[in-house]
Amino acid sequence: MRPDLPAAFLSGYMMTITKDQLSLSKETRKKMVPYLLIAPVVIYYSMFWLFPVLNAIIESFKDVDGIWTFGNYIHIFKDPVFYEALSNTAFIVIFSVTIEFILAFGLALLINKKFRGSSMFLFLAMIPMSLPAVAVGAMWSSGLATRGWLNSFLMNFGFIDDASKILFLAGGKMSTMLLIIIIDAWTVIPFVMIILLAGLQGVGEDVREAGAIFGGTKFQILRKITIPMLKPTITTAMILRIISAIQIWLIIVLLYGFNRLPVLLEQVVLNYDQLGAEYFERIGLALSVVVAIIVSAAAIFYLKVSGSFEKEEKQDE
Amino acid sequence: MNNVVKRQLRRSAKRTSLYIVLVGIAFIIIFPVFFLFSFSFMSDYETYSEWPKPLVPSFKANFMIDKNTEGYHLFIFNKSEDGFMPFGPLVFANNEKDIDSLRKFIKLQSNCKISSQKIVEYLKVVDNNSRVEFSIKKDLLANYILFFKVVNGAPKAVLNSLMVAGATILISLSIGGLGGYAFARYFFKGKNILKLSVLFVRMFPAVSLAIPMVIILAKMGLYDQPLGLSLVYSVGQISMSIWITASVFMSIPVSLEEAAMIFGTSKVGAFWHVTLPLALPGLAACAMYSFIGSWNEVIAAVVLTQFNPTFPVVVYKALVGSQGQINLITAGSVAQALPAIIFTLIIRKYIIQMWGGVKV
Amino acid sequence: MATLELIDIAKRFTKKVWGVKKMDLEVEEKEFIVLLGPSGCGKTTTMRMIAGLEEVTRGTILLDGKDITDIPPRDRGISMVFQNYAIWPHMSVYENIAFSLKLKKMPGAEIKQRVQETADMVKIGELLKRLPGQLSGGQQQRVALARALAVRPRLFLMDEPLSNLDAKLRVIMRTELKAIHQQTEATSIFVTHDQSEAMSMADRIVIMKDGEIVQIGSPDDVYFRSSNMFVAGFIGTPPSNFFTVKCEFKKEKISLKHSHFTLEIDSIGIEELKKYSGKEIVLGVRPEDLLVVADDKAVFTEEVLVVEPQGSHQVVALNLSETIVKMIVSAETKVNPGDKIGLGFNIKRIHFFDKETENRIPLISEA
Ligand SMILES: Nc1ncnc2c1ncn2[C@@H]1O[C@H](COP(=O)(O)OP(=O)(O)OP(=O)(O)O)[C@@H](O)[C@H]1O
Ligand SMILES: [Mg+2]
Repeated sequence: MRPDLPAAFLSGYMMTITKDQLSLSKETRKKMVPYLLIAPVVIYYSMFWLFPVLNAIIESFKDVDGIWTFGNYIHIFKDPVFYEALSNTAFIVIFSVTIEFILAFGLALLINKKFRGSSMFLFLAMIPMSLPAVAVGAMWSSGLATRGWLNSFLMNFGFIDDASKILFLAGGKMSTMLLIIIIDAWTVIPFVMIILLAGLQGVGEDVREAGAIFGGTKFQILRKITIPMLKPTITTAMILRIISAIQIWLIIVLLYGFNRLPVLLEQVVLNYDQLGAEYFERIGLALSVVVAIIVSAAAIFYLKVSGSFEKEEKQDE
Repeated sequence: MNNVVKRQLRRSAKRTSLYIVLVGIAFIIIFPVFFLFSFSFMSDYETYSEWPKPLVPSFKANFMIDKNTEGYHLFIFNKSEDGFMPFGPLVFANNEKDIDSLRKFIKLQSNCKISSQKIVEYLKVVDNNSRVEFSIKKDLLANYILFFKVVNGAPKAVLNSLMVAGATILISLSIGGLGGYAFARYFFKGKNILKLSVLFVRMFPAVSLAIPMVIILAKMGLYDQPLGLSLVYSVGQISMSIWITASVFMSIPVSLEEAAMIFGTSKVGAFWHVTLPLALPGLAACAMYSFIGSWNEVIAAVVLTQFNPTFPVVVYKALVGSQGQINLITAGSVAQALPAIIFTLIIRKYIIQMWGGVKV
Repeated sequence: MATLELIDIAKRFTKKVWGVKKMDLEVEEKEFIVLLGPSGCGKTTTMRMIAGLEEVTRGTILLDGKDITDIPPRDRGISMVFQNYAIWPHMSVYENIAFSLKLKKMPGAEIKQRVQETADMVKIGELLKRLPGQLSGGQQQRVALARALAVRPRLFLMDEPLSNLDAKLRVIMRTELKAIHQQTEATSIFVTHDQSEAMSMADRIVIMKDGEIVQIGSPDDVYFRSSNMFVAGFIGTPPSNFFTVKCEFKKEKISLKHSHFTLEIDSIGIEELKKYSGKEIVLGVRPEDLLVVADDKAVFTEEVLVVEPQGSHQVVALNLSETIVKMIVSAETKVNPGDKIGLGFNIKRIHFFDKETENRIPLISEA
């Protein structure tokens, strides 16, 4: 470095040095970018998810006096209502998820074709998924009541008379669950369909045409080309559905009130609702943990069965 | 020639059956929603005194007043009975007090507005002709107005809901959008695990999350505050936003950004000038999706609010609390559903795109 | 192995958009037909109608005399290379090629052998285990080709199957395909934008424009006897030059008057031009039929605008009253931009076109 160099040049020189030093770590910096972008998410989730969840888990192992105990869980597992809620939930989940998926998939295949009014039809299909839960509750409770719109409709068109009004909400357990499944399907099918439809549009017409050229029947094309290519989308839809199906409760309570058809999450809310009773609150927490474990287990089970983990490993190779 | 006709026939048969199925599905979707709207325009009388209930609300009501030795009697036309039925106080006299209470009764029960003066005029006609029939235009929006009047704090609850939704959009879109961009554009260690764990957040029931949050928010001074509620909503909405924005960004080819970089902008500049404008509709759709989610949520809001409830809480309490007044509750429900439906209408084109790249 | 007949077929996509306006074509057994035409002229649409992927708006398709217009693609006994490949991304290369064989319930060992054989043919024998996502564009195209070849169809449709390959591989594949064709004798329809490919492979070339056929003929037919100005101006690299001239008969001579030159030629053999006497006609001259000659023998002299060396020859462009004239000159001839050169015509190879109809004026001497 020559001492007689003008200062400006010198500072420029210095700058190059710093830049050089920076560019040395450029590789590392580049690698950091995605983590920096993800960081806010991680921070947010540790503050407002992980922290309360850990809190809930810890509290669920303590009794009212703050002493460690399994009592809350023992209470749950001794309670026959828990098992009833468990089996009811399982029944509803298995049937509603299956039915919803099949119908939604059929619908998605049907309207994947271009036709006049398809945009209008899509909007119609999106209405149920945009309705607030409370509105859905009001809609069906005003409809299924003995003097609700459904019976009114049937009477107005002469299908039934006053004497043969259908007591929709007064049925036994089985019909209650069926009704819930139907209502849930009405609400949720559009949502599943939208996801599948989005996936289908990504699959593209040409690969299916190739299937037709090379000798596939419609069914073979569906089974060997469309469904395999759609699998990631199907997994997404199924996981989202399983997660929220196990957490069903609001519509049941809005239609039947508490304790008529016990399901898992309804029991959690019921325990919370016993306000002031800290004992029940803790049981509610313990039950929440149980529900979360069941949901996770179901989701992981589904991922395992559908082979999504293998695919991930394949990608990582 | 025969061939062409056959082909056309087959095609139109296919088309027709497609449309029949579509119309059937549309009917199943519309049918209950139609009644939700329909009920919200019905008066108490239509809702509770006609059986079977009318399928569409009427725009006016027909009344009749007659007179016997005891005094005047009011009747209303009942569509299901196809005749006039007694309505209101059994007898009333032509004095200020009776007529005023009659006026109020008519307004409350049939959503029809009539002035005392007019009633007095009709009574004069009855005095001459022994009876009078008249019809009054129904105030269709009466249930809505009543809902916001009688239900405690409904207008303020709407404001609260809007604030919660606004804050939720801001938080979830900024944090989720960054994450989504990372998922869409970068390969990094633990990406798959992270993507799945974002999903796992939803596995802990929202209600259950709300209870411990009461204490945490109380400590932060945010309990019963819109901002506090939006912090809880953002937990679920961030994970949705990540998935959706990742999908939106994935639908914009990297090559566009690369092209911008070749023509002289930095990576950030390329994002700013190329990717962001292209992603804007998708991001807007994502924001509205967050709005809908936050606007519709009810249970966490029940737990986390006390004196500052959101609008869904108000409707929920009205629904669970009072078993009657279904027309009033449907009015509240429609008022709550309408913004969500309108936003869905606006973003319907983008919803498919939003989900396009969403894959586990 | 099959005859194909397209009878008055047409495809209308929307009110205004026709993919194919009218198409009549008879393809003989074992024939190798090449569809040639500018982008958007309806080649792919034609293929898709033959394959059954697109319903025809009008017309009939006969395969071996049997009406197949309304039967589904899988029952047509065809195979196809898609313009955009359409290979299945979730199947390995092997599974892609084996797909149709499996559906046909071919024994496993035979499938294995057939797949390997076909893959080797198109030089992707080493890639069988890969997923399409891990292949280059050209490799993907060869998977599409192998998948179509493995079928042994009656009718083989190829929509630009070699477009993405390098020049060398393309020539190799060209020969390979030709050999396969001779061996399997499958009637083939081939779309390409590469004219030398078309010339070298086709038994007959079908030239299309705006959804209609403008000429069907052997490579020589379309090149040396282009039926109209469109074909003459489309075929050849570079294509024909056109000169509008006024035609005047003087005894044994015809004088063709252009704004820049006058050409006098013997009228023997081209008496048909007599009825155009006093009228304007268009001369079509292939670039190789324009000759560099000494100035005294030149029909006209012009300054060289651009020289494009092509290795074996060079293309020289001149500017003749606002129209570019292109000619082919041997590599040895020294020409530089700015040089004035004298030009002559290879008179025997001049084509005459009616100025109004743009159709070729038929000459007895050619018949
Ligand atoms: N699905 C479609 N809907 C509407 N128009 C279409 C459709 N497919 C093709 N076309 C139109 O039909 C015409 C013929 O298209 P086609 O694909 O057959 O052209 P091509 O000759 O194969 O062109 P290229 O050489 O570029 O592949 C074009 O004008 C095109 O825009
Ligand atoms: Mg094409």
